[in-house]
Amino acid sequence: MSGGEAIIHLEQIDKTYLQGDLTIEVLKGIDLAVTSGEFIALQGASGSGKSTLMHILGLLDRPSSGRYLFQGQDVAHLADDRLSELRNRQFGFIFQSFYLVPYVTALENVLLPGLYSSTPTRQLRQRAQQLLEQVGLADRMHFRPSQLSGGQQQRVAMARALINDPPLLLADEPTGQLDSTTSAGIMELLREMHHQGRTVILVTHEAEVAAAAERSIVLHDGRIAHP
Amino acid sequence: MMVVSPILEISRQLWRIVGMALQALWAYKLRSLFVIAGVALGIASLTVIVAAVDGAERKATEIVRWFGPDAVLVFGGNIESRAVGQRRLTLSYADADALRRSLPGAYLVVPMRAKSNQSLRFENRVVQVPLVIGTAAGYAEAWNWPLVEGRDLSAEDLARGAKVGLIGDNTARELFGNRSPVGHTVMVNKLPVQIIGRLSYRGVVSGSGSIDDRIIIPITTLTQRFNLNRKYFRALRVKFYAPELMTEHIANLRSLLRHLHHLEPEELDDFTILSAEEILKFLSMFKSGLLLFLGVTALVAMTVGGFVLANLFYLSINERSMEIGLKKALGARNWAILSQVLIEAVCLTLVGALFGMGLGMALGQLLARLGLLQILFSWKVFGMAVTAALAIGVLFGLKPARQAAALNPIEVLKSAG
Repeated sequence: MSGGEAIIHLEQIDKTYLQGDLTIEVLKGIDLAVTSGEFIALQGASGSGKSTLMHILGLLDRPSSGRYLFQGQDVAHLADDRLSELRNRQFGFIFQSFYLVPYVTALENVLLPGLYSSTPTRQLRQRAQQLLEQVGLADRMHFRPSQLSGGQQQRVAMARALINDPPLLLADEPTGQLDSTTSAGIMELLREMHHQGRTVILVTHEAEVAAAAERSIVLHDGRIAHP
Repeated sequence: MMVVSPILEISRQLWRIVGMALQALWAYKLRSLFVIAGVALGIASLTVIVAAVDGAERKATEIVRWFGPDAVLVFGGNIESRAVGQRRLTLSYADADALRRSLPGAYLVVPMRAKSNQSLRFENRVVQVPLVIGTAAGYAEAWNWPLVEGRDLSAEDLARGAKVGLIGDNTARELFGNRSPVGHTVMVNKLPVQIIGRLSYRGVVSGSGSIDDRIIIPITTLTQRFNLNRKYFRALRVKFYAPELMTEHIANLRSLLRHLHHLEPEELDDFTILSAEEILKFLSMFKSGLLLFLGVTALVAMTVGGFVLANLFYLSINERSMEIGLKKALGARNWAILSQVLIEAVCLTLVGALFGMGLGMALGQLLARLGLLQILFSWKVFGMAVTAALAIGVLFGLKPARQAAALNPIEVLKSAG
């Protein structure tokens, strides 16, 4: 993962929703290039469209118009299953509400994206254990999410994001539900993942969290605000 | 990257999905339990129906074998059109003599009368027998029913009106335990009867009890001692040579009896001829009735089970929308989600099928004990139950599964901020 190549290239991305008779423009003409190895903070007030942009970047949603080149490939024509495959291999997702499967252990939660990949199971389990050790949960592997604190749950989610060794991490308000001490730990981990050479895109509305990033992009009313 | 064969890849995926499905089933135990119970009830009724119909068929063959393909039973009166006031005592000893003399192919003509629900006493034991049968010589031969000990009724017993009798296996066991009944005297009501032979165990269960509960005495004795009509009797057993000519034998018997009874061509028979074929016809009618009644019951029960499954799965998919959306976001393809839900459904219906079969067999045992139906386990029952369970699982699981697969991850993974 050498730095410098454009991993993501957005050109004039629009996203509109129909709400009854009303057309709501959520994103208006977004141009964005993300270089491999960058750490970007995506900022904006609630309703600014940053979540929608995040979904489009993460291949969870399709733009209404515009071009999205992912690693030089136009994703507009890709079938849903191909997008699933790309999400599985290329993206690690970290969510505000952690989103762990409640009825399986931390280890099994970390394994989850791996189960949809073609990596052999034994290799996956080894890697999941290593990752849980890395995030400091070596002694919590067989705990259920309900037996873990919020910070621990987010660490499990971060280990899960890395199971398929993706080049890109998308973190959507990862500290939004955590106190400041715990948040600091999570941000430290995120920085560590960035130092491993991963491209990190962090969605946040908190300036101090955004300060951890190298580049900050502010969304305002569906457009990228230029300071 | 390593090149993996697509078949290996798909089977690995499926294996992992099965694992996830089982975890989910274990996690949502209550849902699993309800689905299993719902399906089990349906499969139980299916098991009862298949086993009952099979049982009826087995019983039919048994009855026919026991009845004999070379014999008929003639009753007085017409079963098909039982007109008001029609006489049921229409067969006379004169008829029997005439048949013996002039019915071609017949080698045994045995008249019968019966007295029902009599009490038998030996020493201090008393039992009720459903039937005391009066018959002519050669009962064992007439009914293909060998004696295990003693001798059959003879022509001399008949002529003398002897107080002797044959005893059914059950009755013998109840009165004598393990002792031999032959030579002992049993009180039939107030009539002392010396047992001269014991019939072998036949084990056919009919509506009025076991066929092995009976005592057989000469018809002359029965008529005299129980003060029955001396001219007529109830039924006539006729056995023929050349069973392949049964149709002709029956036609001859019928025209001869009509002639003896002076029936005009427009008059209906005043007797009924029952052959093995007739019995089969009746039993197959009974069987289709059973099939229809139980079939509708089983269909309703299985549909109910299916709807229970579908509804619980809809609820469950709503409850688990986060999990499903998350899996899709993390790279699960639509077919992976679809197959997980279907596998969950089918696993539950299969377990339901096993429980249902158990329940059905238990129910069958109960019915068999009550003498209503004879039910046996068979691989056919197993196969049908499993097939039905698979069908319910796929049929009723498909819509919830498709709904789950169509879930949009961004709808369910909206960030709170």
